[in-house]
Amino acid sequence: MEKEIGKICAEGFTFFGKTNRLISHELKNILAIISETMGLLDELAELSENGMKLTPARLRSMSGSLIEEVERANAVIRCMNTFAHSVDEFIREVDLNEAVALTIQLIKLNPIGKAVKIEFLENGSHMIYTSPFFLENLLYHAFYFALSAAAAQKHIRVSLFADSNNAGVEISGIAPGGFKSFPTPPAELLVKTLGAEILPDSSSGKFYVVLPQKIPEGPAEALLAE
Amino acid sequence: MKLLLVDDEEKFVSRLAERLELRGFQADWATTIEDALARVSAEKYDIAVLDVKMPSMSGIDLKNRIEKITPGIKFIFITGHGSEKDYDTVCQEAVCCIIKPFKIEALVEQIEQAFKR
Repeated sequence: MEKEIGKICAEGFTFFGKTNRLISHELKNILAIISETMGLLDELAELSENGMKLTPARLRSMSGSLIEEVERANAVIRCMNTFAHSVDEFIREVDLNEAVALTIQLIKLNPIGKAVKIEFLENGSHMIYTSPFFLENLLYHAFYFALSAAAAQKHIRVSLFADSNNAGVEISGIAPGGFKSFPTPPAELLVKTLGAEILPDSSSGKFYVVLPQKIPEGPAEALLAE
Repeated sequence: MKLLLVDDEEKFVSRLAERLELRGFQADWATTIEDALARVSAEKYDIAVLDVKMPSMSGIDLKNRIEKITPGIKFIFITGHGSEKDYDTVCQEAVCCIIKPFKIEALVEQIEQAFKR
């Protein structure tokens, strides 16, 4: 058990670090846009003092894009804050809908999430009792794999399903024969920790991440044991 | 001096190009690998300023593709990633690597130095 706890902790730290890296990269990109826009505004103002025409439309376009970037930064920070609160209570009631929405926001910060479209077809709350942090970690691996193995349309669709025993995530848009490399060893570790299952349906380019309504006793619960 | 700027953030790269034009450089820009390669095939650039992380290809891979089309072109990398290891790796592939956000004077200085080499 100790070895399993060590492995799952290492995977969790890796995920936490990776996510922080993605967020800081996105914020630096936003700051770079704001910096270039402000710099250009300043230079255009100087040129207008020397007689060059600076139209209100140009000014509005630039101030508009500054507002957009501030809103973009705010969305990223909100996402960072929600993610950081994933470890407040290590195991608790989790809305799968919210966990999927958050993880999709995170994967969209990865360069691959900008190259391939990922769409979440939301259909209401599905509450399960699990570890929100390790759930987001597993979903991140699943979405990363899906984006890497996307079919030619480059469009991954994500939706939820639930019955009395299980809830889960359906991920479609995978290229034929694309299932050979998933689950990866870290994803397999998370599957075991959460008591989940990965069910591929290669004929329709889909796979399912099936989650129990309640996390089984195991390394995640043992992390909390005194 | 003719520059090609490549970054997937359109607002960033277009404004940077405009500011460089105000300083007397001829600066074209691209937001995709395909557009960047098309421009390099059609025009001869002295220096390419490349983002290290692009959605469909790394800046280093793009550099290798551009070098085959335009031997002798100089490269400057720009990045929002800050690990020392990444930074050192990228620096070995180019004249220099500048971390976003940066002051335009820092980029202009590196462009002028690269051109003199």
